[in-house]
Amino acid sequence: MINFFSETWLLWLLLLTGGSLFWASRNSQYFHYVFNRFLMALVALLSVSIIVFSLMEVLPGDCAEKWIAYKSTQGEMITQADIDAERARMGLDQPLPVRWGEWVTGLTLKGDLGFSCSKRQSVNLALGDRFWLSFMFCIAGLVLAYVIAVPFGILSAYVLNKPWVDHNPQHGSLKRLLNTLGLGLAKISDVMLRIVSYLGLALPNFLLALTIILLYVFAGEPTPTGLFSDEWRSEPWFNESGFQWGKLNDFLGHIWLPIFVIGWAATALQLQTVRALVVDESSKLYVDAARARGVDGLSLWAKYPVRHSISPLFNSVGFDFQRVFNDLPIVALVIGLTDAAALLIEALAMTNDQELAAAILFLVALVVISMNFITDIVLAAVDPRVRKSVMGG
Amino acid sequence: MLSISSIFRGRAARQTASQDDAYYTAGQFALIKARFMKKTAGLVAGFVLLLMLLMGLFAPFFSPVDPGIDGADESYRRGAPQAVYFWDQNGFSWRPFTYTYVKDQPKTDFAALLQGGGGLAALDKLTSSGALNASSQNKYTVHEDQRRYLQFFVRGWEYSILSIDTLGIDIRWDRHLVGVEQGMIHLMGTDEDGKDVFSRTLHAIWVTISIAIVALIVKLFSSLLVGGVSGYFGGRVDAVLMSITEAVRVIPPIPIYLACAVALAQIDLTPTQRYFAIAVVIGALDFATLGRRLRTHILVERTQDYVLAAQLSGASHMRVIWRHLVPSFGSYIIVDTLINFPYVILAETSLSFLGLGLTEPVNSLGVLLQKAQDPDIQQNMVWQFFPVAVFVALVMAFVFVGDALRDAADPYSERNK
Amino acid sequence: MMALNPMTPLLDIQDLTIDFRTDEGLVRAVNNVNLKLHAGEVMGLVGESGSGKSATAKAIMRLHPGNALIRQPSRIQLHNGKQPVNVLGLSGRNLRMVRGGLVSMIFQEPMASFAPAIPIGEQIVETICIHLGHDRKEARRIGIELFERVGIPLPEKRFDQYVFELSGGMRQRAMIATALATRPKLLIADEPTTALDVTIQAQVLELMMELREQMGMSILFITHDLGVIGKVADNVSVMRQGKVVEAGAADRVLYQPQHSYTRRLLDALPHIHSLPQPPAQTPAPIVSIDNLSIDYQLAGSGRKGESFSAVRDISLDLPQGQIIGLVGESGSGKTSLGKAILGATPMSQGQVRFHTEAPFTLKAGAKIKRRQVASVAQMVFQDPYSSLNPRLTVRDIIAEPLEAMGLTGSRQETDARVIEVAKRCHLNVDHLRRFPHAFSGGQRQRISIARALICNPQFLVADESVAALDVSIQAEILGLLKELKREYGLTILFISHDLSVIANLCDHVVVMKHGELVEQGSVRKIFTAPEQAYTRRLISAIPLLDQARLDAQVKQQVRA
Repeated sequence: MINFFSETWLLWLLLLTGGSLFWASRNSQYFHYVFNRFLMALVALLSVSIIVFSLMEVLPGDCAEKWIAYKSTQGEMITQADIDAERARMGLDQPLPVRWGEWVTGLTLKGDLGFSCSKRQSVNLALGDRFWLSFMFCIAGLVLAYVIAVPFGILSAYVLNKPWVDHNPQHGSLKRLLNTLGLGLAKISDVMLRIVSYLGLALPNFLLALTIILLYVFAGEPTPTGLFSDEWRSEPWFNESGFQWGKLNDFLGHIWLPIFVIGWAATALQLQTVRALVVDESSKLYVDAARARGVDGLSLWAKYPVRHSISPLFNSVGFDFQRVFNDLPIVALVIGLTDAAALLIEALAMTNDQELAAAILFLVALVVISMNFITDIVLAAVDPRVRKSVMGG
Repeated sequence: MLSISSIFRGRAARQTASQDDAYYTAGQFALIKARFMKKTAGLVAGFVLLLMLLMGLFAPFFSPVDPGIDGADESYRRGAPQAVYFWDQNGFSWRPFTYTYVKDQPKTDFAALLQGGGGLAALDKLTSSGALNASSQNKYTVHEDQRRYLQFFVRGWEYSILSIDTLGIDIRWDRHLVGVEQGMIHLMGTDEDGKDVFSRTLHAIWVTISIAIVALIVKLFSSLLVGGVSGYFGGRVDAVLMSITEAVRVIPPIPIYLACAVALAQIDLTPTQRYFAIAVVIGALDFATLGRRLRTHILVERTQDYVLAAQLSGASHMRVIWRHLVPSFGSYIIVDTLINFPYVILAETSLSFLGLGLTEPVNSLGVLLQKAQDPDIQQNMVWQFFPVAVFVALVMAFVFVGDALRDAADPYSERNK
Repeated sequence: MMALNPMTPLLDIQDLTIDFRTDEGLVRAVNNVNLKLHAGEVMGLVGESGSGKSATAKAIMRLHPGNALIRQPSRIQLHNGKQPVNVLGLSGRNLRMVRGGLVSMIFQEPMASFAPAIPIGEQIVETICIHLGHDRKEARRIGIELFERVGIPLPEKRFDQYVFELSGGMRQRAMIATALATRPKLLIADEPTTALDVTIQAQVLELMMELREQMGMSILFITHDLGVIGKVADNVSVMRQGKVVEAGAADRVLYQPQHSYTRRLLDALPHIHSLPQPPAQTPAPIVSIDNLSIDYQLAGSGRKGESFSAVRDISLDLPQGQIIGLVGESGSGKTSLGKAILGATPMSQGQVRFHTEAPFTLKAGAKIKRRQVASVAQMVFQDPYSSLNPRLTVRDIIAEPLEAMGLTGSRQETDARVIEVAKRCHLNVDHLRRFPHAFSGGQRQRISIARALICNPQFLVADESVAALDVSIQAEILGLLKELKREYGLTILFISHDLSVIANLCDHVVVMKHGELVEQGSVRKIFTAPEQAYTRRLISAIPLLDQARLDAQVKQQVRA
């Protein structure tokens, strides 16, 4: 009995969530919406699994061939019959829909992601913590992007329609000079940031990573590739004398590079998005109306245009994550990381490991879809505008 | 005095009247153009872009050296850039010139090797002397007393300006913009085969851009199909198509390109076929964003009063679509395509960078960029980073032009007039 | 608080000149304007779009946009109770005291002037905290009291709601409450009732006047509607193209106008005494509507089967050769009815019969023969911007019905027909090559009419066709419609919420409410002797000038 539940725990979890949402949706409009979104997310996941699974069919070779090829290097004689037998044993002779069905059942019943041929172990084991490593890289890159892009995007929007020089004839000359200095400073930082952001759009990540590595090479310093330098790689986090701070230090000295590299392009894009959103909001009538009530300065900006731009920005977090992860594999290759992104590129381009690649892609899509789901339901709970548009007021 | 000023005033008034008329009879595109002309950054970027496109399109004419293996300079492999001067300590010259660069032949002392008995010890000695080091292979001498003057419109290798196989048209020419009296000039140095980096880069621009063009056309078709069908039919078709698009949108595209490129690698293709196949793959899978936007656009535009007016005028469905709906997103599509140029170029370079797109000896920016990974090049042949600079400039130019054009085509600014 | 010397004005605008920097160079929006407003007085500022009235009002609050240049020696003096200060020189704390403290503003669109993601009450509390220095609890108490005072039911509940959860009238009441929260000396009301239905407009105006009495503030009332001015203002300034063309006591300006422009504005108001007598016999109908109903499926509600009934079981005859006014407040289903007659909105029940040379019937559920309808009936739309395809030239737009129905002969014939129609609608035929963006709203509406006329239709539906236009342009378009009726015997169904327009244009009026027909009859009957209570309420809510005095003025003019 316990065995049965432990074999099918994920299914029960999903059913339980769906069931309780359905129960709650009977007399709450909000949970009705949440339930609908939950169903839509499940449908999206299902279509993603179909797309990913059928896409992997185009990769050459299959598991049986690879396994037999491995055996042949061990000196065994191989015939076509052996391959076919192996195929039948692995269930690869079944048509695509059947194999997909088995994969999905395994996944939904117990979270089994399949079997990796090249690693010759289950995908869950092969991935281990690597997916979380990639996940954290992307999140850190995103956080970096938001931390830079949000304040400077707002600044950029703020100075957009401001002149370089204070012309107001009603102001005194000292005041005009001070205002002009302030405006000039803001304008210059805006222009510089925009140039940086354009560069971020134009310079592909892998080139940026290469350039930074090159700088290290010229400076004669050891390049911060990988996750640890050689001396710390095999050290454990804890030894007799407690936590190894040196290892942490070394770790931080290495991971800033991928985070910075993938964060930069995201920053460039976010900067433009934030700017456009805030500019859009700040030209609305309610900002003028608030001004007419005597609200001004920082409190006006924080409470009106900025506050109203947050939800559309927050809404795109899922797709921002997707965009960042999209860049990660090549960066991982250049920097020499060993995370899921590097594994993905290895599985796709070198070992043709279909199930491993499909599993990683599926996990990324799962993260994006869950993020979209969460942002949607959070926004519907928090932002009255969203609530109105999705639930009709 | 009075009469003169009144004449001027009259003329000015007439001029503004005709200018007004030009503005009023200007169509959508003319208006966008007029607004674009006011944007300095966009104009400068547009000029740079045009220049690069032109040099890319007529790359053979602008290249001083044949970029292929035929044109490789055997005696000047891994050679540094050759600078062009007007003036040096020997005096000034109106004609620009460069010096004679002579590659140091690695003095592999085979005699010594033999003398040492040809044993391993002698070989060790040779290796440790540094004669085989990568950096020592780069050594060259400049003979400043031997000037080589630049020549313009020189005769060189023969190339075709325009060739259409099906029509049997093949216009060939052998003039080049720049050449040098003796030997070849390598403005940006040479690579390890002696191929001229500058000429390769020029040729690569057009290859990369033409891939992007093909990819964008394919993308346009797939987006139009998905967005148009979804937006016009609506209902269940719309729901199904949009949920597929939504699913495609959450999967990161580069891994998918990778998978397709790997699959393509299995098939035996000529370089040209491979090149188109990659463009088609990049374009066909990128329908999600534009397709969704077109759908929204059609849905919005469909509710505009002028569409209802056309329907009430007795116009058929086809007429409404072709005369009213399609032109309404024409300018939008063009702007969007231009904005997407850099992203498609990036996709191509990413693939080539991984060795899955185009490969040597094809000249594409991605192929040239891939070399930047090589530690040998990073340390000893920095001039091979020239394509990187060209690439960044090209993409920047596209981004700036696209941005300015988007601002110029913004429908809101038209509304406020 | 020190009482103001009655001789020193509360607001004194001197030589105000504002230029706007645009792509086409400097544009003068306000030209040397002088205004004086004393304590407790209501000043009406009248003008059409582009007359500079809003720019003037915004300059008082220093809310003019970034591309505005205020020229020397413009001055805007405000008396703050102690001494007059020049608003244009203020900044920081002093400016904040003026904005929202000394002066408050009510905007035309209450929906857009409240931040959508912040509860309305919170925006009031914020204002009170800034200006009166109360803590939030106290501010909330004051706010709720104000809500009660402006007549918002359930004030406690409404206080924490968002702007889109309130109805139009409630929004404007909340806006007024916000503006009055700090007990300002001057209230600037920028077209506060233009977006409202006429009955709500009357309520809001009444409320404003009541509160003015109680609080003793001055109001600068900006509007294009002289009828409203007649109800509220002590003094009037008429602005046109950035200049004040006429100013003086309201009585004097309204009943003895000096400037021709003021007179033109006055002519656009309804003159109920001079409404035409109905013809002895109603002409035969050209269109008959039988038991027509329209239901809309509600989308986005998440549950299926819910529908909203826009029009319920309406039967109506439209007499030939008349202009029939279809009146109703927003949501009355008048537009749905108009579109359903042309087959542009599907009916759920009933039929529409056309008694034309080749009679035909549109039935619910049956396929609509677009061309058959198009050759006899056409439509003129409300929005002159979205109803013309911006990518076609005017010639192509007007020729569209001919070409779409394949009625074209040679290109010359089409051109000749286009020129004929364009001339008929007083369009400059040299401008046919131009694109719509070259034309003003009024001219666009002429293009729209020309397009409707090109196939010689017998029946026209005009859906709020002058609502987006200025009063003087409205008059021109209405004149054109009357001409067309006279010359071609055209039947026009004129849909409008504006009873003044209806009174000036129509022969026959149909009143609708919530999708049902309330009353119909000749225009004279509806305006002078309405039978239904709803119609009476509607008519009495129109801000009318004193009819007897207006008549006297007209007679005087005729004599002179």
